[in-house]
Amino acid sequence: MTLETWLLFALAVFCLGVYCVLGRRNLIVILIGIELMLNAASVNFMAVNHFLSPHPEVGQIIVLFVIGLAAAEAAIALSIILAVYRQRKSIDVADLHELKG
Amino acid sequence: MILTGLAMVITIAGAIIAATRRNIVHAVFGLAIALLGVALAFLSLGSPFVAAMQVLIYIGGILIAMVFAVMLSRTATHAEPDGLWRRVFAVIAAALLFVAIAPALVNADFGPAPAVADGAWSLKVIGSSLLDRYNVVFELLSVVLLLAIVGAIAIARREPGSDDDPTAAGGGGA
Repeated sequence: MTLETWLLFALAVFCLGVYCVLGRRNLIVILIGIELMLNAASVNFMAVNHFLSPHPEVGQIIVLFVIGLAAAEAAIALSIILAVYRQRKSIDVADLHELKG
Repeated sequence: MILTGLAMVITIAGAIIAATRRNIVHAVFGLAIALLGVALAFLSLGSPFVAAMQVLIYIGGILIAMVFAVMLSRTATHAEPDGLWRRVFAVIAAALLFVAIAPALVNADFGPAPAVADGAWSLKVIGSSLLDRYNVVFELLSVVLLLAIVGAIAIARREPGSDDDPTAAGGGGA
């Protein structure tokens, strides 16, 4: 399995995440899309690390940091989603337009 | 080789389920499948440690929190309304991104392979460099996590004296 195959695979996952974020209206599904994009980035780090890095542990440490940041981001996002739901009884992005200019 | 192909197929299939199913619970389970596939990919890239962390933190932590949010916001039974143009636009945007980046990846010249052989790392090396060379990042990450926990509680807390029905939402937050 070559590095190019891994990078194309990660790109496909990233594009599915982009579709999730742009094409869906539910806030939780948008968060799912963000998680997919973060995972694609992690796969990229691991693949490049596996094939090209002279220090095999660096990519794994970066992926650990990415996973930790994703946990923090998910906690904040889910609490915002709950707060929005409590106020609006809806988590559809089409209903959230107070900040529209 | 078989593991690698399996990991890619599982991840793509899970991501497609997560991106296309209109039922939110199905989308969350699609994400679970995709995360498991990414863990398999890490395994086939030679890092069982990060694969285990992926399963523990993502599937054991983040996914459970998402299921809680789905249950608390009671959107599981409501199918998403049909936003056809939004979806068409999103498909075009994602496809354009893929078409724009894929040729660059295929044609890139990554240079010669490194001198170090595979499997030269160990958990000991990871642990000592986390506390040695990457110590500042490590500590910053723990501060970020602490702030995220406090912020999540502050945001999701029910305001005292608000007109919420206290029996409506069940628990107090994520």
